[in-house]
Amino acid sequence: MDFAISSILFYAFAAMALICACAVIFANNPVTSAMNMALCFAATAAILFGLGAQFLGIVQIIVYAGAILVLFLFVVMMLDIKTEEEDNSFTVFRNLVRMAPGALVSGVFAAMVFIAAIKLPGATEWNNPLCKAWDSMGELCIGKQEASEQPAVSNFGGALPALNPAAAAKELNPAISNEEAAKATDIPDVKLLGQKLFSRYNIAFVILSFALLAGTVGAVALSRKIRKD
Amino acid sequence: MSLFDTIWNWCVDLLSNEIWFYLITTIVKLVLMFAVILAFVVLSVWIERRVAGWIQDRPGPNRAGIPLQLFQRFGSKEKQPLKEWLHFFGIPETCWIAKLCTWLRLDREIPTFGLMQPCLDGGKLFLKQELTPSYVRKVYFTIAPMLVLGPPMVAAAVIPFASSVATEFGVINMVVANIGIGPLWIFAVSGLSVYGLTLAGWSSNSKYPFLGGLRATAQLISYEVAMGLSIIPLLMVFSTLNMQDIVQYQADNGWTLLPLWGEGLSWQRWALMAPLALSFIIFVTCVFAEANRTPFDMAECETDLVGGYHSEYSSMKFASFFMGEYAAMVIGSALVVTLFLGGWSIGFGADEALHSVSSWLAVCCQFIMFLIKLVAFIFFFVWVRWTLPRFRWDQVMKLGWLVFLELAVANIFLTAAILYFVK
Repeated sequence: MDFAISSILFYAFAAMALICACAVIFANNPVTSAMNMALCFAATAAILFGLGAQFLGIVQIIVYAGAILVLFLFVVMMLDIKTEEEDNSFTVFRNLVRMAPGALVSGVFAAMVFIAAIKLPGATEWNNPLCKAWDSMGELCIGKQEASEQPAVSNFGGALPALNPAAAAKELNPAISNEEAAKATDIPDVKLLGQKLFSRYNIAFVILSFALLAGTVGAVALSRKIRKD
Repeated sequence: MSLFDTIWNWCVDLLSNEIWFYLITTIVKLVLMFAVILAFVVLSVWIERRVAGWIQDRPGPNRAGIPLQLFQRFGSKEKQPLKEWLHFFGIPETCWIAKLCTWLRLDREIPTFGLMQPCLDGGKLFLKQELTPSYVRKVYFTIAPMLVLGPPMVAAAVIPFASSVATEFGVINMVVANIGIGPLWIFAVSGLSVYGLTLAGWSSNSKYPFLGGLRATAQLISYEVAMGLSIIPLLMVFSTLNMQDIVQYQADNGWTLLPLWGEGLSWQRWALMAPLALSFIIFVTCVFAEANRTPFDMAECETDLVGGYHSEYSSMKFASFFMGEYAAMVIGSALVVTLFLGGWSIGFGADEALHSVSSWLAVCCQFIMFLIKLVAFIFFFVWVRWTLPRFRWDQVMKLGWLVFLELAVANIFLTAAILYFVK
């Protein structure tokens, strides 16, 4: 059983993400919660980096850790809650009633994620999670073309945890030959993402943009003070 | 076989291994980049003071040198080294050379033109009493300065400081991390320093720092939007996000703001100059705002807020904020230089010519060129600070949201139209 450094890093960051996510819920201080959430986002971004999806990872950091969470922190700081006070006025029964919907929703969601995860190829091979993902992504998503047989050997002895560059190059530009595609060394993930977003998923993209625009307009309309004069 | 040969062979063996070659070159580049940034933090403090003095018609710190008394303390027998030297060369003590040397204070100190001043500042701040008020939130109060100083250092990893060299062991690319998302990495990581400012303001648990922290958060988020949008025209022209490729493009086709060589001076390229110049103006202004420098230093505006978010900090924690601000300024300058002023490229086809002579020579010249451009832009930074008055708070927010955001968005469409119809 050989370990690739990428697998060790994957487990380290996954553990970090989980611990931070738990700390978000259990922390008494809202600012601590927010900071833990930032760490959780950073760990998720690190996993995305490990998978070779650099653009997604950096967008995770820019949008979530850099903007949205800072706004959270901004609001939390303005409220100036020192520590969350426990409300003891509820009885046992009412506590149960209060918890049941939450438990139901989170349970169903967790089961869904678990089943989806366990069905992925290589999910049970715990010693090399990213390599298997590498192979299967090559087959599933962009593997209509022949993926290169031999996974590239990384500097640390394991398989590189990235999508197949040759298949990615072929996907981006179907006109090029297989020999030319095999020369590709890194994933043009920004180009791939842009191409897919503006061609295959264009309608969904436009609908989402309209939803965001509506949200923005709504926020402006709500926060705008209407002058009487 | 001599000892030297043995060591040499061992080194060759080590470097022939792909993993060790990668590790060693990366660590060397990392140390070099780190040293450059830290040296430039110190240097920019000195530049700031000297240029401030120059602009305000006063000398500034021009005296701080290394006093020769220091060497006497440490056991040097020579009481007056200058006289000894004059005797050694047989120069009379009354001649003009001796007088000039005395006027330059060579008899008292080793002159550094005031470059010792930042070192003395550092020593002073390091030796000052560390005072932590009793009412602060200790954990966040402690990590806040680290969160300000850390991100700019990490962001420096993607800035290329020279082109690549092909050695017998492999190609060395003169950038620490040659990733495909260069500018975005810098935006993301240096955007994280807003946490430091916010937490510093909040954890100080007092009014003025809190207001400073709030201002910093609002300002940095606002200007990050315009900053991100302003480089999109640039990326449309380069059509890559890799910093090394961006600089290579500029070396081949002319700097973004100086397209004088490459594929000929067609009018199409000059037509593209208008949107690129506009994005340069927006981007540079946003870099000023992001680095929290006058005229945008709302977060630490001493007339409104005492010291802003770092009012309660003293000693090295204050110094961390100080250094973080200058490090952000250095990284901002490096980013502007890389995106708009050609990065390491010497220009006018000199890169190619030097590479044909020797790639190591080319790399050294390019590194020096990069440093020269960096110093020039830092000078510009300082020049602006001591020339323009500070904005009012609402003016800063209005400028960010109502002027630059719209201009940046319009600029994207303008560039797209030019690229579509003209090129």
